[in-house]
Amino acid sequence: MTTLTQPGAGAAMATPDASVRPVLSVEDLRAYYVLDLFGVKREVRAVDDISIRIMPNEIYGIAGESSSGKTSLIKTIAGAIQPPLTVVGGKVHFDFRGKSIDLYSGAPADLDAIRWRHLSYIMQGSMNVLNPVRRVRQAFIDFAARHIAAPSRRAFEEVVVAHLDRLHLSPHVLDAYPHELSGGMRQRVTIALATVCKPEFIIADEPTTALDVVVQKRVLAMIREVQREIGSSLLFVTHDMSVHANLCDRLGIMYAGRLVEEGATSDLFASPKHPYTQHLISSLPRIGDRTPREGLKGTPPNLADPPPGCRFHPRCPMAMEVCRTVVPPFVTAGKGRRVACFAAEPETIPDGIANATRSIAA
Amino acid sequence: MHGYGQYILKRLGQFVLVVFVGISITFFVTHLTPIDPVETTISAAAAFGSTSPEAIAMLRETLRELYGTEGNVIQQYVTFWGRILQGDFGPSLSAFPTPVSELIARALPWTIGLLVTATIIAWVLGNILGGLAGYYRSNVLLKMSGVLAMGLHPIPYYIVAFVLLILFAYVWPIFPLSGGYRMNLAPRWDATFILSVLYHSILPALSLILVGLGSWFMGMRALVSNIVTEDYVQYAELGGVNRRRILSRYVMRNALVPQMTGLAMSLGAIFNGAIITEEVFGYPGIGSLLVDAVHAGDYSLVLGITTISIVSVAAAVLIIDLAYPLLDPRVKVA
Repeated sequence: MTTLTQPGAGAAMATPDASVRPVLSVEDLRAYYVLDLFGVKREVRAVDDISIRIMPNEIYGIAGESSSGKTSLIKTIAGAIQPPLTVVGGKVHFDFRGKSIDLYSGAPADLDAIRWRHLSYIMQGSMNVLNPVRRVRQAFIDFAARHIAAPSRRAFEEVVVAHLDRLHLSPHVLDAYPHELSGGMRQRVTIALATVCKPEFIIADEPTTALDVVVQKRVLAMIREVQREIGSSLLFVTHDMSVHANLCDRLGIMYAGRLVEEGATSDLFASPKHPYTQHLISSLPRIGDRTPREGLKGTPPNLADPPPGCRFHPRCPMAMEVCRTVVPPFVTAGKGRRVACFAAEPETIPDGIANATRSIAA
Repeated sequence: MHGYGQYILKRLGQFVLVVFVGISITFFVTHLTPIDPVETTISAAAAFGSTSPEAIAMLRETLRELYGTEGNVIQQYVTFWGRILQGDFGPSLSAFPTPVSELIARALPWTIGLLVTATIIAWVLGNILGGLAGYYRSNVLLKMSGVLAMGLHPIPYYIVAFVLLILFAYVWPIFPLSGGYRMNLAPRWDATFILSVLYHSILPALSLILVGLGSWFMGMRALVSNIVTEDYVQYAELGGVNRRRILSRYVMRNALVPQMTGLAMSLGAIFNGAIITEEVFGYPGIGSLLVDAVHAGDYSLVLGITTISIVSVAAAVLIIDLAYPLLDPRVKVA
């Protein structure tokens, strides 16, 4: 196993068993949108210095507001980046059963061989991911037939039907065109499609965002059920904190392209350390609580020109002088917790900064 | 399939209506012209020598009946429909007494053979190249072909045709200057004749393909570069679906839907193209026939040709309409 450059990111996160290797290790990953407009180079730092490890059978959630770089991060992890998004540094390493793969170092990896068999994807806007002019059956054949060893088309279809049946979907959906299915139905078909090969790692990018609450609940239940059944790891991305609270084992909070806090979901909700996390959680409605929710002032920074120091400091009620100039390191803060904040972890403030702890909050 | 049956009936009804209205308009427009074909023929006949007034009166009556110009316009209109439904357009005036239908039947295979084939070849090639160019954006060869297609496209068709004719039939005479087959051959179904026909059709077909290809190419490339950003294409790429399969079944298949409409329209409109092509290359088709008919004031022939082109445009649209629900399942057939 490789060592991480950042302290505290040991293997013992959710699973204390050190012999279990993480399925995914992301190390110091930086992926920028490199724009070259008439000779003027601009970088949009959508993914900046992110390290994550995800264990087998774990549901890891990534939260953060819109344009915080969530989708860029998981596109990079999935090896689905296209210019101008380019990996500037860092590693994405998958350790599948019998097959490990480094995405951005060395020779271009043969991704097509691991896609769907080991790594599958439930995409944002899953409503439109099925080819409108072909039947659902064709999608299953195109995506899964090369991974499922079946002696004949018929045997393959039996596997598919058995899988649909497990997910309480009628085999008739195979004969339907995508437009003949409802939105929730299409989303469930997509989940069935993404899990039919029993992949070890599933990336789900806002799979429930476009759905109403009732359908959302059903879809989430289905995702969790199928994840348990096939024992895969799930990287789940949404801006909806209540979904995270219900689904994820561990949670990473993203702000402006950086991971600002990470921990087991229950710990994070019980005692958020980073001011941004505190805001996210206190903005959730609670039954019986009628006090007005306070919004966060300001807007997320422009990632082409992020503020120096901590990217959150212009909006942070606890900002200090040091936050303006120094990027807070992402350090271990308790069991399985990591946070990048000088206010939460004062011992990380470097020496020799004048008035380091003087508050600058207006 | 009940829905599809209804759909067919509805489209058939539209077809009949379009043909009826189109032919009616043509009929009335031609009959608004001050030329009276009967009088034209009589004056031509009278020019040969003195004819007795009785003979002229008899001739006039005979011709009226023959041309269907008895009675007032409405009566003529009814007679006209009665004849058309039997496939009879009356005799040609310029090639009297050969029936118009025979002239058309003689010219039609040439036009259809040349223009339909060339249009389809241009469509297929343009779509394949455009699709590839849209999907493999960075391929240098495909980029070059795009530049070529875009450069050729805005040149007017007749200039391309003349340039080809000058280059390959005059400066470097490897192809014939004009005609549909070698002069001394009799039309027959044998190898010599067919080869001669193919040989004569190369230049006109090439001109049509060169010019037609460009617009299909650009249309398809634009469609494809839009479709590749669609979720279902990106998802298939994420899913590791075979690239060639993505190109054919996901990208091209979806782009084909609008392109089919374009094909139908241009197949229906081949009679427009026929005029210039056949004039430039001296090809014995409908286009040449129409130009001759207009010059000779042969309005029954003009009417016949117009009718044929109206029916074929409407038929092309009908066929595409019927095929559309099979191509795109989202088209409501009800």
